[in-house]
Amino acid sequence: MEFDPKIITFACNWCSYAGADLAGTSRLKYPDNVKIIRVMCSGMVNPGWVLRAFRQGADGVVIAGCHPGDCHYTVGNYYAKKRYILLKELLKFVGFDDERFKLLWASASEGKLFAEEMTAFTEKIKEMGPQEKLRRKIE
Amino acid sequence: MNSETLEKIKEECRKLPDDVSYIVGFVKKQGEPREVLKVLKPDEIDRLSYSPLSFNNPARIVMDLMKTDGKIAVIAKGCDARALKQLEKEEKIERNRLYIIGISCPGVIDYRKFRNAVKFRLPEIESVELVGDEVIVKANGEEQRIPFSEVIFENCLYCEQPTPKDYDVLIGEPREGKLDFSDIEEFEKLDREERWSYWMDVFSKCIRCHACRQVCPLCYCEECLVDPSNLAVSPMTPAEEKAAYPRVLGKTVSASDNMVYHLIRVLHHAGRCAGCGECERACPMELPLLKLERKLKKVVYEVFNYSPDEEIPFLSKLDILPEG
Repeated sequence: MEFDPKIITFACNWCSYAGADLAGTSRLKYPDNVKIIRVMCSGMVNPGWVLRAFRQGADGVVIAGCHPGDCHYTVGNYYAKKRYILLKELLKFVGFDDERFKLLWASASEGKLFAEEMTAFTEKIKEMGPQEKLRRKIE
Repeated sequence: MNSETLEKIKEECRKLPDDVSYIVGFVKKQGEPREVLKVLKPDEIDRLSYSPLSFNNPARIVMDLMKTDGKIAVIAKGCDARALKQLEKEEKIERNRLYIIGISCPGVIDYRKFRNAVKFRLPEIESVELVGDEVIVKANGEEQRIPFSEVIFENCLYCEQPTPKDYDVLIGEPREGKLDFSDIEEFEKLDREERWSYWMDVFSKCIRCHACRQVCPLCYCEECLVDPSNLAVSPMTPAEEKAAYPRVLGKTVSASDNMVYHLIRVLHHAGRCAGCGECERACPMELPLLKLERKLKKVVYEVFNYSPDEEIPFLSKLDILPEG
């Protein structure tokens, strides 16, 4: 059986979620492995949630937000980016496959970009195989 | 050297302004050669003590004392002053109510290494002095010389500011420090699987006692993310409600769960950690926790180009993001 990855996407309400919606309404296809969790702003994504997603068995995690300067709350996505860089560097340092964690800027009009990026990311995760390092195991 | 320093500390304490109501300093611990922190009244100056074994960080005690009235005098090494500065930036400490007696610190002794190196029984030790590059331990009329490099606390080798930047009086000659991430760079050269197995090995030992969180001067949140009792649970709370409580951390003791705990703990210290090493000293399992803190310090310094001396806290500074 082919490996079917689970990809969690935290999409911001104002840009990326609308972008994903646009991809749907324009009948663009992107893999159904991508599970979208709508948050009010990418800046509210606690790094703990990302780690928890990996613990619960996600193979990839994406934080999607507005382009820099376009945030509905002015600076939320800058906070998101700061946290993203810190967590990514830390994950790399402890030897986790940090490629499984991605930050994506997608505006409400970029349904096409959202679908393309998600397809490419899913392909990459499929190549990498299941995430076993942080997944919760029954011991 | 330290009896000299101690005399100077006492002398400065006698000259304190009249409105100082507390002195946070070190006193000798009963039955052990080390010092512990103590809040003293200005008329108890004679109880003060100081040696290279005075390693604790007074910043947290100072923060708690801010609830009282009057000025507080504090004896601070380089790292303590950094922690005080950080708490001041976060408006937990009022600088004008603080009188900092800065000490130019040559580094402190790692108590674990010291206990292994010393040949006397601990209660017998009368004095521990640092002279030049040697630690001289005196007990029962005998003395033992230990090279300082053998017992120094490892993080002190990488201290970027052994002399406090901000002080009211300084004791000792100012010392130069430098930013040095050679140990982190060395570790980064290992390949991914080696790093993973190293950290898995480390975190499989963690017993999640949360001592590192408890002792950290910057972990002052009243409600901590990692506490299981964040939300009220009474015998009447239904199971469904308990299950729906937000939980970031798992409660198991598996190595990866412990890792998540430590990653979250360290992420909260990004751009804030003073590098005092209290977490490592408090750890009953002797885990190398400062390695993670120092890695984040390196990222903050190299990627964001942020220096801890800046007045704006790292978390609220946004114009330092890299391009893209």
